[in-house]
Parts: sequence; structure tokens; C-alpha cells
Amino acid sequence: MLSKLTGGKLYDPANGINGDTRDIYIRDGKIVDPPADSEIVHRTYSLDGKIVMAGAIDMHTHIGGGKVNIARTMLPEDQRGSARPKTDLTRSGGGHAIPSTLAAGYRYAEMGYTSCFEPAVLPANARQAHMEMADTPMIDTGGYAMLGNDDLLLQLISEGAEQQTLNDYVAWTLHAAQCIGIKVVNPGGINAFKFNQRALDVDDSHPHYRITPRDIVRTLSRALSELGVPHPLHVHASNLGVPGNYLSTLATMEAAEGFPIHLTHIQFHSYGAEGDQKFSSCAAEIAEAVNNQSNISIDVGQVMFGQTVTISGDTMAQHANHNHAHPNKWTCMDIECDAGCGVVPFRYRDKNFVNALQWAIGLELFLMVDDPWRIFLTTDHPNGAPFTSYPHLIRLLMDRGFRNDLMGQIHPEASAATHLGSLEREYSLYEIAIMTRAAPARILGLSDRGHLAPGALADIAVYHQHENPERMFERPMLVFKQGEVVVEEGRITQPVKGATQVVRPEYDKRIEKLIERRFERYHSIGLHNFVISDDEMAEGIGSQVNIHACKGSRT
Amino acid sequence: MWNNEIEQMMDAVTCPCCGLSCDDLKIEMSDGQLKSIQNGCHLARAFYDTAFHHTDQDPMIDGRATTLEEALDYGTELLRQARSPLFAGLATDVNGMRGILALADRCGATLDHLNGDAMFRNLRVVQDNGWFTTTFTEVRNRADLILLVGSQCIDRFPRLVERVLHPEESLFVETNQRRIILLGPWQQDDIPTELAQLNPTVIATDIESLSDAAGLLRGLVADRPVDSDRLGDDLGNSLTALAEQLKAAKYSVISWSAAELTMAHAELVVQSLVDLVKALNAKTRSAALPLAGTQADITANQVCTWQLGYPLRTRLQRGYPEHDPSLFRWQDLLTSGESDLLLWVSSFSSLATPPPTKTPTIVLGHAGMMFEQQPSLYIPVGVPGIDHRGHWYRSDGVCSLPLGKLRDIGLPAVSLIVNQLNERLLPFADEPESAPAC
Repeated sequence: MLSKLTGGKLYDPANGINGDTRDIYIRDGKIVDPPADSEIVHRTYSLDGKIVMAGAIDMHTHIGGGKVNIARTMLPEDQRGSARPKTDLTRSGGGHAIPSTLAAGYRYAEMGYTSCFEPAVLPANARQAHMEMADTPMIDTGGYAMLGNDDLLLQLISEGAEQQTLNDYVAWTLHAAQCIGIKVVNPGGINAFKFNQRALDVDDSHPHYRITPRDIVRTLSRALSELGVPHPLHVHASNLGVPGNYLSTLATMEAAEGFPIHLTHIQFHSYGAEGDQKFSSCAAEIAEAVNNQSNISIDVGQVMFGQTVTISGDTMAQHANHNHAHPNKWTCMDIECDAGCGVVPFRYRDKNFVNALQWAIGLELFLMVDDPWRIFLTTDHPNGAPFTSYPHLIRLLMDRGFRNDLMGQIHPEASAATHLGSLEREYSLYEIAIMTRAAPARILGLSDRGHLAPGALADIAVYHQHENPERMFERPMLVFKQGEVVVEEGRITQPVKGATQVVRPEYDKRIEKLIERRFERYHSIGLHNFVISDDEMAEGIGSQVNIHACKGSRT
Repeated sequence: MWNNEIEQMMDAVTCPCCGLSCDDLKIEMSDGQLKSIQNGCHLARAFYDTAFHHTDQDPMIDGRATTLEEALDYGTELLRQARSPLFAGLATDVNGMRGILALADRCGATLDHLNGDAMFRNLRVVQDNGWFTTTFTEVRNRADLILLVGSQCIDRFPRLVERVLHPEESLFVETNQRRIILLGPWQQDDIPTELAQLNPTVIATDIESLSDAAGLLRGLVADRPVDSDRLGDDLGNSLTALAEQLKAAKYSVISWSAAELTMAHAELVVQSLVDLVKALNAKTRSAALPLAGTQADITANQVCTWQLGYPLRTRLQRGYPEHDPSLFRWQDLLTSGESDLLLWVSSFSSLATPPPTKTPTIVLGHAGMMFEQQPSLYIPVGVPGIDHRGHWYRSDGVCSLPLGKLRDIGLPAVSLIVNQLNERLLPFADEPESAPAC
């Protein structure tokens, strides 16, 4: 079947198209070249003046895995008041900050998102992460496997293992956990917390392994580069949330020694310790560092005011913050000599100095980092705010007047402590399309999406033009998933299932002997039952695997 | 292949018999029969023997054998007529639970697990308080002190010593230096051999006093002005010494099985133990290891939580999920007559049958089930890990393990049956319907 989208204004930065009126043709789920005149177009969508973009990609959103389910278990109040009744087409569900998997999938699609990536897949918990994502309809998914707090990697680095051995272990992990990238969370810190260490800065020595977070970041970023994995090491840096932590963040950038790294939810890592409250913005210092170092990309982790829950692998930081829990309950967990997690509900208040400044710091970063290809729009869902606040965030970036109006409502000292009011930049639709489509696809190595050229998957979002970008982005006119209309006027019209996106770098299989021996001696699961096969993904977990190419791959 | 291949000799079989989920069983098959099992405990042997002993596949309507086709038609009709169905038991694998939740959404059912009482002794504390827990591999390698609360851990989790408490090797502690403390209704000569060999310190107390004991420990660790004499000199002194040991330990683990805490308000014991762990973490490291998972309670609850946003004891009668850990207890819904149909799912144990009830009952059950009262409909189903592949959660709720397939005699998976029931209900779903039924 051949479909035609005609008359739409395309924003397709990967192909340099900035609001030009062009037609798009779709066949067999993909965008194709204009057909010969003799071919019959079976379906035409007249999109005169509508805004057309590739389906949006959220490259950092906690939508699946053990810690999300712990949050759901601990917080039944998050569901109450946010129920989503079943319809003839969709299942029931709900939730505000931690929606049920089904509700999450529907809501993402209803905002024009077609691919989402869970950034904290513990290899020991990868099955669950993939099962939850398989039960998240409408979107393709993928995950970043967590390394850098597992006792095996730390021991190998500590023993001075060769980089090649570490590369093999990293590659094996990507295969075994069916992931598309590697994330390190508080490098070595989650592990150090198990030895009762309460802080670990970039050059602090781990209490047992006598290595530093700097060693871990360097080793892992180099491994991914040498393996040709498209997505750089995804780093949740040391000292999250600690006043003065911008120095740790700068040191983490330096630790990569020029290898590509991605610093995630950098808003939480851009704090100074100046002023009466010993808490200040260092967004300018961080933005300058990002602007000056092309190997670095970031996502923001914007804070929005209201109730949410913070869920993180960073047990060390989450335990340190448990006194801020609102409501007053929290969970932490040590996991399988692999990593950990902490779940702390939180309410960001605009009249609280720190929270208000966090909000401003996120926006400062968005506005001070020059290159939209290296900064991504995230709230670190749900840690800064639920993903449903993205349309509001887009308006904050595109509309200076709106931004300044809201700045007038926050804690006055926070308002006085930020440069936000002087920042005149307003994002264009083209730049929004970069941040939410073209750039995430590029940094993840997804050549089949994030753009509208022939060959791309026909994952497309069509929006009504509206002077208020929040209205525009919260309710697309049409969303296509692989060529099928799945959303009309912001409502699901066809439920579909997505697939799991992975990479498969080559490695020396001899590493498996070492890992197997380790599992036999010290773990409580055999290696055979740890590794997830493609058949298991498709038949048991319920999500087909799509393999994306690594750089320099010989296959 | 995930679906088809059955090997004669398997050496990494996961046993879904308790929450330990030992995955090192070596099983040898011969002509579809079980030839030998290595590494399994006595519960595992009984589990496999029972399953292989029963191969009857005939569904029954009111005790009379029928075909699967007629059984599915009848089941569909019962579900269609129900106004307030209760889906309970729920002893199944991940895909079985996925199918049950889809069917429950269509039918407006209320959901609870047969172990719901035990599970909510823990979950109510998590919902009020959160907790701080750990997993088997961490305990094996890190714990220098393990406090086992209660007295049934070995009865319920037979290989606990070998798999978790005292493995041959450990990364960060000498396992023979590990201090084991038993707090519960122990008699000195009752201690199972494998535990006794670890030279445990025994602090004997009756089950009713556990709440006081846990509260006292928590108070001592948190520097509250507690009166240790209140529990008597012996117990008070023992607990005071234990509190000091816990404070001095580098990584203590506090473990219990909520299933054995059958006294009223047992959640208060769990609350005290969780508070104790949290208090210890102010200065040193400690974590809880709640033991559970039997009859797939953790499995069912995990899937329910991610698909509905709420744990079990959730109802879908109004077209969206509503959760109440007190009101939606399956035993109460049944005895009060609030449900007009019971769908009982129990695929692991032939003994886990539904209670006698006047409520019409559909059983998707183990092929070896014997009924005191014949259900309206009984469809024998396969055992996950024997008749079909699947996924099953371990006690800690983190690790879900793949279950294998050992034979193919045609017993259907729960997922297959509930998905077929769901499909048969489908054509009627679009009809105008005033009541919130199927």
C-alpha cells in the first residue's frame, strides 16, 4: 500500500529541511522516494500547513525495570486520581509520575513519541526491564546496561586487566542484557556504598578496589569507542545533587580523555556552593565546558514543579537524600554484586529556593549550550518531572515571555540568583526537532529513524500549528508508527507493539569462560540463565530485537 | 529455540518450587519420563514427581469429562454472565499473568494471589514506609552477620544454607567467620542440621513476642530510651547483645519469611525489622532479605504492578484499576458473597485447590488436582518449567529466571487458555452494555 502525506511543512534537520512544504510517501512501513506517476496512491493525507516531524525519541526515560516497579509498589497514591479507563481499543492503567506500562506507552504516542530508551538496565534485572518495555505499547524501546559498579569490572580494572579484556566484557554485557548502550551511574560509588563509603568524588579511591571514578570513566568510554558502539558512555556523574558538584562534573568530562561521553541529567550536576544558602548555579561553567569540547553531549533532566518520585541506580545519593522524601517513605536496594537502586518520592516547590534554582539551572543549560545536536530534551522522567511535562518544557524554551512570567513566580532569591532573565534565546521548531528527533537518533546510531528521508521508518508526528507550542506538542493531529496511523487528534486509534533496539559489537568469546567461572563461584544464577537470547526476547519476553550497526563493524 | 526443543539432559534447570529458584538442577529425561534429578531438594523432587505422575488432560464440567473446545465455550459463558468475578490463586508464570490481566481488564475482575495474606504483611510496610533490601548474591559475598527471624526458613527454603547463607566461596568475607543468629520459636534440638552446622546463636522467643523483640532491637540501635528488662532478663540481655553486634557488623542481613508470621498484625513485626535495618544504615551497612516467591506470588505481583500500576488486591470492575489491600482479600470476597464467579489459577501445585464455595468456580489447575467439591469447570493446565517455557521471579523480586520445558504431552499453558477465553469474549465487547461486565 502506498500512502502520501501532502502539503505539510517539514522540519527534518537530519536532511537540512526547515519548514519547507514537501510531500512524503510511505510504503511497507517506510518512507520511500516519490513513485512514478503511473503508481496508484492508495491513501492521501492532506496536511496543508501542518507541522510534520519524525516521531520523537526520548533517549533517557525510566519506563521499565525493577526500580520503576518498586516505585509503583510503594506509591499507590501516584495512581489514584490519574486513572485511565479502558476503552474499546486500549487497556486500563494510569499513574502520574510512574504510570503503568500500558499508560506510559499510550501517553508517549499521544504526544508524538515513537521510540524511548530506558537508561538504567541492571544486567541482573534486564529481563524485567525488557518485559516491562514489551508491555509498553506503541513505542520502540531499548536500554543502556549499567556497568561500573559491578564487582567483576571493578576487580578487572583494579587488577590492571588489559583494555581488550575490558572491551570484551563490555561487549558481552551488551549482548547478554540485549542493550544498545552502556551507562555508568556514580562510577564506583554504588559499589563503595556497599562498603559503607558515603561519598566518592572523581579522584577518590574506592575503599576496596583502590581505583577511582576517573579510572572507570576512562576505561568504559574508551571501551565503547574501540568497540564502535555508536552511543558514547552514558554517565550519571559523581556527587549527584551535592552543592559544589560542578567540579566533579568538569572532572568527569576530563576523565574521558577525549573519548565521546554523554553526561546525563546534567542539571543535577551543575551546582555551586556559593551564596547565603550555599547553593548556586554553575550552569555557565558547565555550558562553557560543553561548548568547548566536541566529544561531550548532555541531556538536561529538567525539573518541573510538583509531585514526582526520584528513582535511580545511585543508592549512595538516594540514601543520602532520603530525609527529603515526600511523602516520607523511601526504598533502597543492593543488587547482585551488580549495582543497586533507590526510590525517594519528592515534591519540587517553586517557593523553595533550591528547587526554584534547580528549575532555573536546567533552563540556563538549555539556553547556554550552543549546539542543539549535543543537548537533549529530558526531565530524566520521572526524576525531574514526569515525561508528560515535555510540551510545557518546549514552550519554556520557545517563548521567552512565558519563561520570564514564570520566573516571576518562583522564590525571589532564586530568581535573583539566576541569569535566566537575561537569556534572550528562543528555540525554533527546527532546533526542537533536532533535540527531540534528529540528534537522539544520531547519538544512538539509529539510522532508520529521527528523520524523514526515503529509507527511514515511517514514524511520523503531524502537529497543528499553534501559537502556543505547549498546545501544539501535547496533542498531535496524527502519529504514524511504521506507516500506520496510531493516533488521531491526540487519541489512540490503533494499538501497536514496538521492538527492542540493540547493538552487537564483536568480542572475543573467551571472555565468557572468565565470566562463567565468576558466576559459578560467587553468584546465585548460572551464566546460562543470565544471558537473554533473541528467541527468548521474541517468544518469552515479547519483543523482537532490531540490531543496529556498530562503527567499523565487519558484519 | 525458546519454544520447541526438548533436550534429554539438562544441567541448568530452574526449579520453580520456592523463592530460592535454584537454577543448577541437572535433569535427565528418558522417553518423556523423568530419569534423574541432581541438586534439587526434597521439595523439588516431590514437585517434579507429582507433575510427571499426572498426565490427565480432560477438562471437566461439573465433574464430567468434556473436550477443551466445550470447556472454553462454557468458560466464556460463565465469564460473560459474571458481574463481579474474582480472579484468585494466580500461581502462574509471567505470560500466564499477562493473559490473566488482559482478561481481568475485559471482565472487570478483582485480583488476589493465594499467598496474598503473606505478601501484604510485607507490601503494607513498603506502602507505608519503603524498605531497604538486598539480594542473594550480595548476601553470599558481603554479609558478616545474618539474623534469621522465625523458625521455618529451612522448611520453606530448603537449600538456603548452601545457596545463600554459607556458600563454598565468598568475595569479601570468610564464610566461616559469618555470624548466624536465629531469633524465633526455636527449640535447641529442632534446629535443622545444615543450620546447626553454622554454629548459630539462638535467641528463643515465641512467635507472638517477635514484635516486641524487633521493636526493642530497633529502639536499641536507634538510641531510643528502651526498657530491655520488659521482655525478661534472658531475652532482654540477648537482644541488647545482638543490637551491639548489629551495630558492629559491616554488612548485616535481616531475613524473614512473611508466610510464617501468621499472628494478627504481623506487618508490625515487619515494620520493626525494616525500621531496624534503616536505623542501622545511618552508620553502618545493613539490608533486609525478605524470603518469598512460593507459588509465583512475587511473579504475579510484579506483572500486576507494572501493567496496572498497583500491586495485587486490585479490582478492575469500574473499568480502571482500584487498589485496596484490605477490602480485596480473596477469602473475604468469597465468603461474603461479593463475587459471583471465581476463576482460580494454580499451575504449580496439585494441592493448591480452591476452597469449597457456593460461588461458581472455574479452575485452571495442575493436572493432579483432587477436589473436595467439583468446580463448575476445570481445565488442567501445564506446569511452567515442565510443560512449557516461561519466566518466574525469585524471592528478591529482581531476578526473573527462564523456566525450561521438559516434556510435551499437550497440557496447555495458562496463557494459552486465558488468551483463548479473552478472544472468545471479544466479539461481544463492542455490544452496548450497561453493566460493567464482560
